[in-house]
Amino acid sequence: MTDRVVFDNVSRFYGEVLGVNRVTLSIPPGITSLVGPNGSGKTTLMNLMTGLVRPTRGAIRVLDVPPDAPERLCHLVGYATQFDSFPKGLTGYEFVYSFLRLFGYPHDRCVKQADGAIARVRMTEASNRKVAGYSKGMRQRIKLAQALAHDPRVLVLDEPLNGLDPLVRNETIALFREMAREGRHVIVSSHVLHEVDQISDQVILLSNGYVVAEGQIQSVRGEIRDQPMQVWIRCGRPGALASKLFELDHVVEARLAGDGAGVLVKTRDADRFYNALNRIALDGVDLEGVTPVDDNVNAVYGYLIGEDR
Amino acid sequence: MRAQIASVLRLELRKTFFSRRGLWIYVLAFAPALLYLIHAIDVTRDHEHRQALAAAHPVATEALSSIKQGMSVEQLFSAAGEPYSSRTITQGRRARGGGFRDLAIYQYTDGDSDFTFVVVDGQIERINEQDRCNLQKDSAIFATVFQFFYLRLAVFFGCVGIFMNLIRGEMLDKSLHFYLLAPMRREGLLVGKYLAGLIASVSIFVVGTLLQIAALSWHFDPGAVSAYLHGPGWGQIASYVGVTALACAGYGSIFLAAGLLFRNPILPAAFVLLWESINLFLPAALKKISVIFYLQALCPVVASPDRDLSLFQRLLISSAEPPRAWVAVTGLLVVTAGVLVFSGFRARRLEINYGTE
Repeated sequence: MTDRVVFDNVSRFYGEVLGVNRVTLSIPPGITSLVGPNGSGKTTLMNLMTGLVRPTRGAIRVLDVPPDAPERLCHLVGYATQFDSFPKGLTGYEFVYSFLRLFGYPHDRCVKQADGAIARVRMTEASNRKVAGYSKGMRQRIKLAQALAHDPRVLVLDEPLNGLDPLVRNETIALFREMAREGRHVIVSSHVLHEVDQISDQVILLSNGYVVAEGQIQSVRGEIRDQPMQVWIRCGRPGALASKLFELDHVVEARLAGDGAGVLVKTRDADRFYNALNRIALDGVDLEGVTPVDDNVNAVYGYLIGEDR
Repeated sequence: MRAQIASVLRLELRKTFFSRRGLWIYVLAFAPALLYLIHAIDVTRDHEHRQALAAAHPVATEALSSIKQGMSVEQLFSAAGEPYSSRTITQGRRARGGGFRDLAIYQYTDGDSDFTFVVVDGQIERINEQDRCNLQKDSAIFATVFQFFYLRLAVFFGCVGIFMNLIRGEMLDKSLHFYLLAPMRREGLLVGKYLAGLIASVSIFVVGTLLQIAALSWHFDPGAVSAYLHGPGWGQIASYVGVTALACAGYGSIFLAAGLLFRNPILPAAFVLLWESINLFLPAALKKISVIFYLQALCPVVASPDRDLSLFQRLLISSAEPPRAWVAVTGLLVVTAGVLVFSGFRARRLEINYGTE
């Protein structure tokens, strides 16, 4: 049995409208972010892998289970959708408990797991209040509790950090990391790029229904050859460093910082650049710090999608 | 699977019974009982009033029955004594060459029925007898109201409200995905939802039916009620309860399927309503493709609308041999099961696409 979420040449059309097209992916455990603007196909991918919609073409398997077998799939998958809607009249606890009962678990087990999930998202105190009276952040958290209450191996979360205050956001990110460390898949969608940088082990960049890049963010950045990579180097003698860097054929620009604290370098070959930088340091140029500037999702997405963002 | 269906039932029953949006269904179900109750109170008060009048102006029923048209006013007074109410009017006579005539109205009661004698120029010209309500008359009225209002409108629209809400309502609320993300077969989910709708609708409308019967018979003498119950009463009540439950099952399956298949299920509901309403005028073969045809065949008292229809309407009515009870029940249950099986197949392909709802 594979531990991957696999899309094999999957397309989904809504009538004439494209949802996603020819998507082939193999998502390993860990935190994976689906990144793209509204309408790029993030939610369609999530709905496809949870069986809420079916592919027009292609095949999907979630840990070897096809999504059209909900009685097997839904034990493996927990999904917190983007919809801010709940069955009417339920308290937070009743909401989590009632939908656990749909799994066929006995009462005692449901009570235990509902309590555990609610505690995990720090909603115990508010759990006996009606969901209708919750703030947006509380609704997000109770949705998360419902999605993880049955202890799924794949947690799919559509914009899970929307509406959370900074403290709860950090706690939630820590929860995702903890689940990823336990060997689970945590698949989140986001259009907030700095957030994705913070939490992801790998990213899947989407645009207009197509996957434009996937993998660890640094390796994705390395693939973009037509955009020179930018590196910020703090050093004591930026002028001397810049003159040495200009001798390298793959360096296209070296700009001195206004305050004289360092050099911003653009290179077409990151590997050769870092090797050369090691030699320069051994030659006696004192380097205080080397920081890649554009190997984050924001920059990568900008390079790949450009004006579409 | 059974535990999962039970969980769906619990969630749905709570929603169906206690939803504020569903209050109108209770109004539909219980309004007729309220009307019968008001009628019962009115009849009781009227009867008490007649009893009081009869005590003040005692007269035997036989004496009142012996009075015929053409008798003189003296004969009336001799047989029945003083009336409890009398009015005299001098009336201009337009016909028969003009002139005047003396018109008198005398009212008597034996405590149950009211007798009105219209006396013109000293002779009884007309006798009106207003009987107290009786169970036979009231059960005919009940049969008409039950078949033409309760089944065709109250139960019909109640089932629209309950069963369409089970799937389509949750699509509109954007909360159906919580069910679809549970590890259960979609057919099981559908069965759970249908059973919840069925339990709710049968409970509400059967209670409504029983309340109507109770309200209707409340003002009768306990002896008369007991005689009715030991005669055809219990059988009729059981039939009405059964017909109500079958109506919920039949209409429920249709509207559950409509909620599953149509983005705007009001249109198919309107079509079904129209079809059921014109059933009386459909050719015999088409009559049989409806729920109301079989339900009416199972009703214990035949309610015929013929009297109130115009000649033209009567010409349009076609008659079809009503099916036997077992055929009607089996037919309805088979159609219900067929619609549910079809819905189960469709539920397997059900997708969440709230954006287009």
